[in-house]
Amino acid sequence: MLARHAESLFWAGRYIERAESTARMLDVTYHSRLEVMSISETSSWHDLLKILNVDLAFSEGERALSAETVSEFLVFDETNPGTIRSNVELARENLRAVRELVSTELWESINAFHLRLSARNLRDDVSGEPHELYAMVRTHCQAVAGVANETMPRDEGWNFLGLGWMLERSMMTLRLLLIRYSQLVTAGATGGFHHWVSTLKSASGSEAFRRRYRASMDPADVVAFLLISPHFPRSVLFGLQTADKSLAWIEGTAAPQSRPQRLLGRVRADVEFTDVNELLNGDLSLHLGRIEQDIRKVTEAIEITYFRSTDELAVHVLDPTMVRG
Amino acid sequence: MGGLFTTYDTGGFFDEAHVEADRARPHYDALLQQLGAFTPDELNRRERIRDEAFRTAGITFTVYGEREGVERTFPMDLVPRIIPADEWETIEQGLVQRVTVLNRFLDDLYVGERAAIRDGIVPWWLVCSSDGFRREAAGVPVPHAARCLVAGVDIVRDGEGGYCVLEDNLRNPSGISYVLENRQAMTRVLPKIFANHRVRPVDHYGLSLLHALQSVAPPSAGDDPTVVVLTPGIYNSAYFEHAFLARQMGVELVEGRDLVVDDHVVAMRTTKGLQRVDVIYRRIDDDFLDPVVFRPDSSLGVPGLMAAARAQTVTIANAVGNGVADDKAVYAFVPDLIRYYTGDEPILSNIDTYLLWDPDQRDMVLDRLDQLVVKPVAEAGGYGVVIGPKATDEELEQVRRQIIDDPRNYIAQELVQLSRHPTLVDDHMEGRHIDLRPFVLCGDSVEVIPGGLTRVALRKGSLVVNSSQGGGSKDTWVLAPEEE
Repeated sequence: MLARHAESLFWAGRYIERAESTARMLDVTYHSRLEVMSISETSSWHDLLKILNVDLAFSEGERALSAETVSEFLVFDETNPGTIRSNVELARENLRAVRELVSTELWESINAFHLRLSARNLRDDVSGEPHELYAMVRTHCQAVAGVANETMPRDEGWNFLGLGWMLERSMMTLRLLLIRYSQLVTAGATGGFHHWVSTLKSASGSEAFRRRYRASMDPADVVAFLLISPHFPRSVLFGLQTADKSLAWIEGTAAPQSRPQRLLGRVRADVEFTDVNELLNGDLSLHLGRIEQDIRKVTEAIEITYFRSTDELAVHVLDPTMVRG
Repeated sequence: MGGLFTTYDTGGFFDEAHVEADRARPHYDALLQQLGAFTPDELNRRERIRDEAFRTAGITFTVYGEREGVERTFPMDLVPRIIPADEWETIEQGLVQRVTVLNRFLDDLYVGERAAIRDGIVPWWLVCSSDGFRREAAGVPVPHAARCLVAGVDIVRDGEGGYCVLEDNLRNPSGISYVLENRQAMTRVLPKIFANHRVRPVDHYGLSLLHALQSVAPPSAGDDPTVVVLTPGIYNSAYFEHAFLARQMGVELVEGRDLVVDDHVVAMRTTKGLQRVDVIYRRIDDDFLDPVVFRPDSSLGVPGLMAAARAQTVTIANAVGNGVADDKAVYAFVPDLIRYYTGDEPILSNIDTYLLWDPDQRDMVLDRLDQLVVKPVAEAGGYGVVIGPKATDEELEQVRRQIIDDPRNYIAQELVQLSRHPTLVDDHMEGRHIDLRPFVLCGDSVEVIPGGLTRVALRKGSLVVNSSQGGGSKDTWVLAPEEE
């Protein structure tokens, strides 16, 4: 398929995942701070900016750190290229560029999302009862994912869409774990319970975690759950494994031949065979930071291998007599 | 006939469906009977089905000049236009004759001995001064001389119902996607009425187009040539159609940045590296096609594309430089070109056209400006057309000055009272002016798609049918001949 089309699908997946994660984490942060007194309000908002990797962009604007400023910045601020609104717009633009490759249902689903979002007064949403907005964003993102899952043929395009989607998800859960964990270390163990609950909720995982571990709220279990659970769809490992399958489909072989496949296989194995207790006794932050760098390298390798390829040699493979004939 | 038609008035125009207001033409009899029997509710329901069909398909075009390019749908009227088999036969023969000759003329100009010039049929200065003439295309051949691979020839009917050619569109005629989508919508909206008519199908267009494109592949391409559709991108007004055609043919829809030319070979960037391209169905104007030879500021095109075409490693369709043959002044010479190349009389006539560099014709035109239609020679889409009887004094004065300043740039034509067709207006039928754009495909053979796009001027009294100017469309039913 065309490199540009593959790239559009890859990014469409990433943008939708990012819109959903942003809405979910905003929702959790906004509501958990109402209940939990032990964590300072400003630090939880600052954590959120760090998880989304926009803390520097936020501070450039010389804004005060508050629920309202951060929410506005993440929902619709024009100076932030990663708002919920721009993620949805960009997802739609990317799907529009491949309109003839995606199902009509998928196109209608993202288009309806875009129309619903543009019809809202986001400033009022954020300053009023933001939960309704965040719930609506999540519902629509899940609708887009569901429609894609139900209507797209399992072809190369589908696999590029899923690849972007899953790598973005792994990255987001990883950063959530990384930031929340270091925050906990610096804050000391008090208030740990609520802190971990909100972390699990941020990854949409508190109920699944509860079923798996019952009453326990051992940090080791939370880390294990979010990092290496092979069953929880938002764990880092789950995302990497699914991405790995997509890449194998794209390459037409499970044997790691291309650079992206080798890099992804390596980081997946690294996560898969983690010993959490050993990690908790060592430097977890350092380890998570390294995994983050490795995932970043995978996405870079994907860009270079599939989207930026100007492998001029391929032309010269053609019979030169045909060219000048 | 029922309530829909009680106030119907042919208004003294040639009416496609009626001999007189209360007497239908035979081929419309059944349709009008059945439509007339609908209650307003039944009609509303059908309008809803239609709107749903179009909304779902996302059939839109972009109106330029409005903020961010607003996407609109091209409204389809519920009343189809019917063309009986014998009339269609004449149109079809006329189109094949005309487009074949236009192809010969273009081939003669660009790769031939310019016989039509040498023998004085068309003046050389006229060719050279045409906006659409591209000397860069001289010496670039097209297999089967199929330089107009897709031609859209606009046909109107005069006051007596005679079919004549209004203009030729030989560069990038658009509208075929509406033909196919209208048909699909119509079979959902009026399934029973449709089934009662022996309507010739149109849905093979994608296959026919692909076949024509593959048939003009360069000799080096082998048995299974790679065809792509080249679009300016999602912001182009006809992007929907470009995507539609790529989908219908099952080929890639590429933009300029997806293609590279290396050593005179064109290839597209894919996830598996570069893949060679043999035929480009381009929907980008000549000017933007290749910044090396045309506009250097164009980012839509592909550097080196013309050189590749010249090296015959790729075929560009429609060919570069076709605009010279649909120049509205050259149009006036087409009947002579038909006689010159074939020795036959034209089957479809031209509209009387006056050439304004000729002092006698110019003086006559300037005297009768308020009765004639004046058109710029190189515009498409109805832009710049001045209709004498409808123009203000200032507009007439302005066009008079423009003609005197640059007579080569304009032509004048007798005003044709376009035929009218019953069209649903609110809850009843009124006559509205229509035209017809049939599509002609030329590859290793010439094929006319039965019917084409019937455009209708939805505004009362208007003669302008262009989509950008308040036009709508109708499904066009060409009836199959009666079986013996």
